[in-house]
Amino acid sequence: MAIIHDDLGRRRFLSQAVMGFGLLFGMGTLALRFLQFLVPSPKPKRYEAVLIGSLSRVPVGEAVPMDLSGQKIVVLRTNEEVLAFSRRCTDLGCLVSWSKEREQFLCPCHQGVFDKTGKNIAGPPPRPLDRFEVVTRGDQLYVNIQSS
Amino acid sequence: MESAASPVERRTGSKNWIDYIQKDLPEHLDWWPYTLGAIPLTLFGLLVTTGLLLTFYYVPSPDQAYESVEQITHEVYLGWFVRGVHKFSVDLMILFLLFHVIRVFLTRAYRTPGELKWVSGSIVFFVTLGMGFTGYSLVYDNVSYWGMTVVTSMLGNLPVVGLPLMYLLRGGEEVSGGTLLRLYDLHTKLLPVLLGGLVLGHVIIVRLKGFAEVKGSRGFHPFYPEHTLVMGAIAVGLLVLIVDLVMIFPPTLGPPANTQEVASDVSPPWYFSAAYMWITLLPGPLSLWSLMGGAGLFVVYPFLDRVLLERGWPMPFVNVVVGVLAVLVFVALMVLDVRM
Repeated sequence: MAIIHDDLGRRRFLSQAVMGFGLLFGMGTLALRFLQFLVPSPKPKRYEAVLIGSLSRVPVGEAVPMDLSGQKIVVLRTNEEVLAFSRRCTDLGCLVSWSKEREQFLCPCHQGVFDKTGKNIAGPPPRPLDRFEVVTRGDQLYVNIQSS
Repeated sequence: MESAASPVERRTGSKNWIDYIQKDLPEHLDWWPYTLGAIPLTLFGLLVTTGLLLTFYYVPSPDQAYESVEQITHEVYLGWFVRGVHKFSVDLMILFLLFHVIRVFLTRAYRTPGELKWVSGSIVFFVTLGMGFTGYSLVYDNVSYWGMTVVTSMLGNLPVVGLPLMYLLRGGEEVSGGTLLRLYDLHTKLLPVLLGGLVLGHVIIVRLKGFAEVKGSRGFHPFYPEHTLVMGAIAVGLLVLIVDLVMIFPPTLGPPANTQEVASDVSPPWYFSAAYMWITLLPGPLSLWSLMGGAGLFVVYPFLDRVLLERGWPMPFVNVVVGVLAVLVFVALMVLDVRM
């Protein structure tokens, strides 16, 4: 291929390059905006204490599942304390259930097992269950959850 | 003075486009292992037809999706039949794609100049699996709902692109009505167009690059009428098989999705059960990376074959071992899934 040395060739190349890049830039920006249109932005989160009822609602050794405006949690009462966990399995997001006999949280999707402190002890889950703070005011239980 | 040849003829040396289609085919294409590629193509046509019919009744909203599938299955005239044909066609399409892949793999038909045939075909295979996933998500029973949750969570675990991709698919942080609508759009619009284009591309690439050479296959026959007759016979045979299967095993419907409790059995359709057991048996990141890595290796296998062959590996033998092992692992994981 012959290399063009004259100014005309260079000028044509430059103008085409500028137009080409401009077009690419414009199309790229448009595509990016379209993608942003499709990907919803996460909503801001804040913590709030939600009343879940009196202590008697959760018998010792039992775990009560609750749905607090979309947040699926489970409140477990052991002999010593009351704990609140997210039911979302840390593996791939299925919901764990409390097994009273085994005293463990089980995830039916991929056989993940968590002990009563929420620690992942068997199966694929990479980390313990998310835990929420439980506050007792008198007889009433409150859970500090992230709400959107 | 004008030349007698058309511009196309001068450029390509061929008379016109019909000659490309009518180009003689090697004799071995009549032997059944070499017809395995045309079978998924036929089934794809059947899936498009029945899928179009189903969209007339299906409603992609969480309140009505399950009900509309129930209506299709139990109330609409021949609804059970159309849904059944759609279901069995996808099962058979994936099954025959697997057979086709195994045949190509064992005969190493992807060797130069066939690399592009393999790469385009492997993408067709993954998009078909994507169609399978988005398809069974639409039923909105327990398998659908928890399948959506698990698969989108898996994608969310990918580095960098993971979270945006998960948000893109879910249409928000959680699996919701938006997710169903997105999967519906993917299943009925984006993916079918993509798959149709890819299939067409695959067929064109196969015709341009030529069919694999097979020892002892000397004769040629024209595409029309000889080859089209064989294909027609296979298509009719498939149709008879599917109609019989649908009548013997009419489509069923599990309980509707329960978003508060995971049902005891949420194992996916058979074509995902090996992957499902794989992610059950291995810890999260390892299973995800091994699946992604395996898929990547699968796509670039022709190039891997070439590199290994240059280093003196006995590739025909290696392929038999790898192929047999892969099939055994796939079946073993499936059996394990049924047992658990």
